Amino acid sequence: MGYIGVQPEAGFTSGLLDRFTSTTGSTVTLTHDISSENDIIVFVNFVKQDSTNYSVGGSGNKTLTLGGTLVSSDIVEVHYLNIVKLTQQPSANSVGVTELNLSEGTSGQALTTNGSGTLSFSTISAGITEADQWRVTTNFTNSGSSAETITANWERADVSFEKIGTGLTESSGLFSFPSTGKYLISALASYYPAGANSNIQFYSAITTDNGSNYSTLALALSGASGADRPENIGFNYICDVTETTNTKIHFGTVGATNITWQSNTNSQRVGFTCIRLGDT
Amino acid sequence: MDINGRANHIEDYLTQLHSGQWFGWSDSKNKVYENLIIHDNTKTKPTEQECTDGLAKMQSDYDDAQTKQNNDKTSAITKLKELGLTDDEIKAIKEVV
Repeated sequence: MGYIGVQPEAGFTSGLLDRFTSTTGSTVTLTHDISSENDIIVFVNFVKQDSTNYSVGGSGNKTLTLGGTLVSSDIVEVHYLNIVKLTQQPSANSVGVTELNLSEGTSGQALTTNGSGTLSFSTISAGITEADQWRVTTNFTNSGSSAETITANWERADVSFEKIGTGLTESSGLFSFPSTGKYLISALASYYPAGANSNIQFYSAITTDNGSNYSTLALALSGASGADRPENIGFNYICDVTETTNTKIHFGTVGATNITWQSNTNSQRVGFTCIRLGDT
Repeated sequence: MDINGRANHIEDYLTQLHSGQWFGWSDSKNKVYENLIIHDNTKTKPTEQECTDGLAKMQSDYDDAQTKQNNDKTSAITKLKELGLTDDEIKAIKEVV
């Protein structure tokens, strides 16, 4: 289509028109919602009608009542000046950040709301960033009824296992954390009682001063009335690691020579699982 | 050791030889004598023969204990029957004892 002056950025839009033929009666039904009579121009047999001679009503004001009764040969045209805009579905792949009341975020961020209608991009926690599993490979007993740290024969689980993240660092039974955060420790110990023992313990303790002092964070207690089948004890706890240089945990047992802690190199029998839950 | 508590590996002998974590394995997936290592330098590494003999003794001790227990059970039942107790009466006594 030709034009004069500056070329329009978009093409001309077509006007909306309803055309009714072979209609009798005094009403026609419009195809678009309008707000009042002023939104349309009505022609009957190509003669413009006075807007005071017709009215609109019904749902969406789509029922047009004319000033007289139509016969089937009459032609009614309704030209729309305005229509009530209804919700429109944007076409596929047409909505981006610029269409929203939103500032662009950075790579990897997710869209969140403050609960009051304001959207923004924010960084989402990466989920589980650390998960590790360790165990003792070799059976052992305790020398007496005092607590003894498990200092040797630790190994990272290596059967159908791969740590997530950096993992813990072990040295003589002391475990260091790879980063600060809240960690879930889940531990299990199996033992075989060869005789009666009323003081069987499996525990874990934490130091925040690199081994000078320890606090027991979990303690599992058990006993045996005599020689019996193997038993299990265990515990779970969460510790908040606020620094990683001097904060370490260890595990220990109390038993005697008649309690054999049943270790294994292929499955968890005396060992623990450590999962970082979140930030400190 | 197996689920009944019968020793079945030289590790069972070593565990009873000294308390604590005085030994380990250079390859924990292959617990043979050649891979036995000693963590506690106050302890002497036993010979392979000592380990073999020690395991055998633990097994024979266990077996002897089991045999004695079974024999004692059979003997007790026999003596009770000689006293005129029925099987149900003996069973009732076992539940009490």
